[in-house]
Order: sequence, then C-alpha cells, then structure tokens
Amino acid sequence: MLERYLQTVVTDDAPEGQPAAVRERLKGHFPPGAVRRMTTLGMLVGSALGELGPREEDAVVYASGYAESRTLEGFIDSFPTPSPTLFQTSIHPSAVQQLMIGRQLSVGEFLPLSGGSLLAFHALRAAFLAPAARVLLCGGEEKGTWLLEFGLASDRTFAFGAALTRERGVAPAARLQLRRGEGAGELALAAWFDLLNGRAGFSGFVAPGWQLDLEWL
Amino acid sequence: MSDPAVPIRVAAYGCVTPFGDACSTHAALVRGECALRAQPVLGGEDGDLVPLALMPGRSLDETAPPAWLESVRSLGASIFGHAWGAPGRPVFVTGSNFGVGGLYALRRTGDLKFAVWGAPPTCTEQLRLELGWGPDVSILTHACVSAHLGLIEASRAIETGIADEVLVLSFDFLSPFVTGGFHALKILNSDFPAPFRKGRAGAIGLGDGAAFAVLSRDRGDWLLSGQSLNNEMHHFTSNRGDGSGFARCLETVSAAARGRPVWFKGHGTGTLDAGRLEVGAASQLFPGAPIVGWKGSLGHTLGSCGLVELAIAVESMRSGRTPGTLGGAGEPLHETVALESFPNGAFDGVVCASNAFGGAHAAFLLSHA
Amino acid sequence: MSDPLIARLKQLIVETLRLEDVAPADIPDSEPLIGGGLSLDSIDALELVVRLEKEFGIKIASSEEARVALVSVAALAAYVRERVDPSRLPA
Repeated sequence: MLERYLQTVVTDDAPEGQPAAVRERLKGHFPPGAVRRMTTLGMLVGSALGELGPREEDAVVYASGYAESRTLEGFIDSFPTPSPTLFQTSIHPSAVQQLMIGRQLSVGEFLPLSGGSLLAFHALRAAFLAPAARVLLCGGEEKGTWLLEFGLASDRTFAFGAALTRERGVAPAARLQLRRGEGAGELALAAWFDLLNGRAGFSGFVAPGWQLDLEWL
Repeated sequence: MSDPAVPIRVAAYGCVTPFGDACSTHAALVRGECALRAQPVLGGEDGDLVPLALMPGRSLDETAPPAWLESVRSLGASIFGHAWGAPGRPVFVTGSNFGVGGLYALRRTGDLKFAVWGAPPTCTEQLRLELGWGPDVSILTHACVSAHLGLIEASRAIETGIADEVLVLSFDFLSPFVTGGFHALKILNSDFPAPFRKGRAGAIGLGDGAAFAVLSRDRGDWLLSGQSLNNEMHHFTSNRGDGSGFARCLETVSAAARGRPVWFKGHGTGTLDAGRLEVGAASQLFPGAPIVGWKGSLGHTLGSCGLVELAIAVESMRSGRTPGTLGGAGEPLHETVALESFPNGAFDGVVCASNAFGGAHAAFLLSHA
Repeated sequence: MSDPLIARLKQLIVETLRLEDVAPADIPDSEPLIGGGLSLDSIDALELVVRLEKEFGIKIASSEEARVALVSVAALAAYVRERVDPSRLPA
C-alpha cells in the first residue's frame, strides 16, 4: 500500500467559460508582459501550480490529456507561414513551463504525462513513486473548438494543483492511499478534478488491479 | 520506498531508423553514412529544402493509418515476452509528437480517417489495440527527453516491486506540423547539421525513429544507473549561459560512474550554443571521455532520440565499436570530440545524454552487467 | 518628418507581438529590440521574422541572421531597405 498526504489543494473550474475572461481574471498572477504569450491553459495551470510555491527540490508531475488544444488549433491554422510562438507553446508540457520559465524556477524532476481514461491513476502513480519529499501534482484541460468537433480535445476547461507529501504534517487536507486489489476501474482526469474541486471522498478502483482511497481530513 | 540497490537491467532493446534495425543502423553509422536528405520542408514538391531522414518509401504527407505504423509494428513483433500492459507488466509510451501529423491532415482535408491518430491519448490507444497490449499503458511526453522519463518511471516501477518487467516504447515520426514548426524557429534550414563542431550558424536535421527497451531486475546484459533529470526553466529555446543546467544533470551520472572510463553520447543536434555548453560540461565531468553524437547522420528523432540512441549505444558496446560524430567539416568544439569510429573495449560504459526545450536535461550511465 | 518604414515596423512590432501597453511611437529607434526595454526575446524575434517575411517578401535564413537584423528598429529598417524592392516599402 502506498500512502501520501495532500497538503494544499488548488482548483479552478474556469467559470467564465471564455478564454478572454479567464485571462483577464488571471493576468495579475504573472509578470507584466508575460501574459501576451501565455496560453489559457498555461495561465490556469500556472496559477494553480504557482499557489503551491514550487521549489527546486520538489518534483512536479503534470497531467493533461489534450494539453494546448487552442494553441494547436492556432498553430495548424497559421500554415503555410507557421508561427514559431504557437509552435513552441503548443508543445506539451508548455503550460507548466510558461509559469516556471516566467519565474526562472528550475526544478530537478518534472514528469509530464498525457493519457485517457487511466490518466489520473498514471499521474498519481508517478507522483507516489517520485522520491522527492514534496511532489506537486498539477494538470488540467482547455476546451477546444474545431479539435473538439473531431473528439480530439476536452469539452471542459479546468486546472488543479496539489502538494503531496509522505509525511502527514500538521494539518493535511486529505490522505491518499493506493493499493493493489482484484478489480478494475478507471479515473479520468476530469473526474479526478471533480473530486478535488468538490472535496469529495473516493474509494474504488482507478485502474485494473489498483484501488484508490481519498479521505478528506 | 524505492530501492536504488535494485539493479535495473536492459533485457531487450531495439530501434528502427531509415537505416533499418539497431544492428543495421549501427553499421551504417560506423561506415559514416548519412540518412539525411534535402527535402521540401512541408512535403510535396515546393518549399525550402531542409535535411530530413524519413523511413524508406515514406513521404512527409500524412496517410491513414499513418505510414509509420508499420515501423512501430515491426518493433512490437520483436519484443520479447508477453502480456504487456497487464498488472505487473506496465508499458510506458514516450514521444513528443505522436500522430500530430494527422491533425494537420485532418484540418486540411476534413477527412475523419485522420482523426483517431491525432492526439496522444487516441493515438496510443490505437497502438495499444494494434499491438495487443493490456490497459496499463501510460504516456510520458516531454519533448526530446521523453524517452528518458519512460526509462526512469520504468526503473521506479521495478525498484518498488510494482512491476517485474517494464516495456518502454518511444516513437517520433516527422510531419509538416513538426518540420514547419522547426523551420519557423529558423534552426531547420538548408544547412546540414554539424554536431559538436565550430561554425558560423547552427542547424539541425530531423529524422524518423522508434525504439524500445525492456527493463528487468533479473535478466539482461546491460545495467542502467545514475539516471538523472534537471530542468533549467530558463527559456524555451536556450540554456543558461554558464552551462550549469548541463552540469547539474551530468553530476549525478558522474557520481554513478565513479571514475570508471566511459565514452559520452551527447545530444548534439547541431545548434551552436547548446553544443558548446554540452561539450563543456561533458569534458569537465568526464575528462578524457570521447564525445560522440549521431544526429548529424540520423537527424534529431525528437521524442524518441533517447531510446533510439540507447539502442545504438548498446549495439556499440556489444560490437566493440562506437560510431564517431557525423556531419559537417568544421573544427570540433573540443579535442575529445571523436569524429571517427573507435574501439570501445577499454571503456566500462557510456553516458547517454539528451536535452529538450525549456532547458530540460536527462542522462544515464549504461554499462556491462 | 518620421520615416514611414520605421513607423510601419514599429506598428508591426506592436501588432505581431501583442504589446498591449505599448504605442508604436514609444519604441525607440536605436535601442536594442531583443533584451531591451520591451522585454522581447528570441522567440519574439522569430515571430517578427515571420511577419516581416510575409510583409516584405524577404527571407531570413537562420536564427543568427535574425539576431543581426533585429538589433534595433533602425537596424531592421536598414536591413529591409537593402533587400526589398522600393515599391514594396511604405511611402
């Protein structure tokens, strides 16, 4: 059985909906002049991760199934004169890099994942196996436009960040346990976000042979 | 939690490049052959000519299913063992671009046949079904250090007892999406790459590549150790000028090498500043170690380069000969840059390093078990 | 009288790089574009190159050449004048 504690949890379900409104709300979280090149996902994930106060000795695990959908759309539509900025920021894991580079925050271990129905489990597994004393698990999606019409983007916009530790600490927010078992299930990233956002408990299979218990303390 | 005393062995390996499998690729590199050819940057007949190394018979234009699928299938057929993706036998798929060429084709044609390959989750799911894997297939994607991340995650799964053996698969095949992007960054142009050489301007070539490694605690003739990561987060496309990002990553590997004689397989894409910093760090931390880079022939295989070049490194040690640094004609950046192939029997192992956008660095030591 | 090419280049810089709080007239002619007061970097330079190539039909082959061309607005104007048919320049 693997056990970790959630010390700090930050969630953002982008209630405004439209990217322009999200950007207006979040622009104060970033250095002046940086926002013009940031993506919406970068601002959402960056804000969540930024609130956790990343340090060089932390490990950062970042999960996004479709990553920079709007930027991908924009880059493809910029052909035949492709935009170098859109190319650069479309490459996973740009969302985290936009924050970290903006703040010149180096980090030893950075593990970006993508995936589908088991993405939350895979991200949790990576976070649990990281040897760092504190692991910052973050992620999110942004709603696509024409990519969404083809089923190649998320239909929701959201972001989360959570600090995981082995040590319980003084006042942890929640306890997480991953253990093996006979059974199957799945936990998509959006469902994981909903658990964090709603401070909802969970006990069940998140992958074939793997059970997760999330208990809010 | 994880037991670093658990040896991580490479039980099986393989790659496919425009030269063929690992053995054929190694032989071609020893002969000094170059897979790069000047080709139109966006495919077709028009556009600037840039150095690309595509699989034989493949054009840059996208097909559905993708033309690269057969190359990946050929790797899948050679993978030893069964029940990949089942509990205890996870698969880590790593890469940077996956089927992104399909997105480009989809937007241009509106043809839905391209859709299923377009995004990493859907592309990987298609592969999982094609190769008959179980459900435990995760995706690590961090540009040109992607393969290293797969090796690290695989190693941890073994060290913690979560897995007995782990399959790491890495692939990256070119498309106009990718070549157009690098061309817009002005580093993919008409010049052919000259890794680790002095020059007026740097340039890269790009290549197709796929590879796999099976990691095990119990079997395999090669040991992986000193696996290291570092992320400068200084700038998307450049490194800290003092080379500290490179050094910080390589210090861990240097400690693992413990002064044993090694040779150094660098990232060496052909860009000037990064090449200079990499050679500087390598020559300081591994004094006297011959430095080689193969992207001057194969092109940069992007997300798969760490694993493609691991396969070639293993082949080098198995055969007793290391291919030299190919590409260009200028003076080498340092006296330890090996331009010619050399016998490697006197070395205990090889340090393999890769770097990526955002100042990401990854490296490991590969040695005889 | 202001140089129409320099005025156009400044406008392109503001538009292309989405410098919301900068007016074209605020950009000095001879101060460094990259690494100067506008906080532009090499990626901004490349984005400008794409726009310039489209606007003026010039070709900047490498990142090193881009660095030289974009030393300042004045240097960029000189670079463009050397390579572009006068009929394509703003009057």
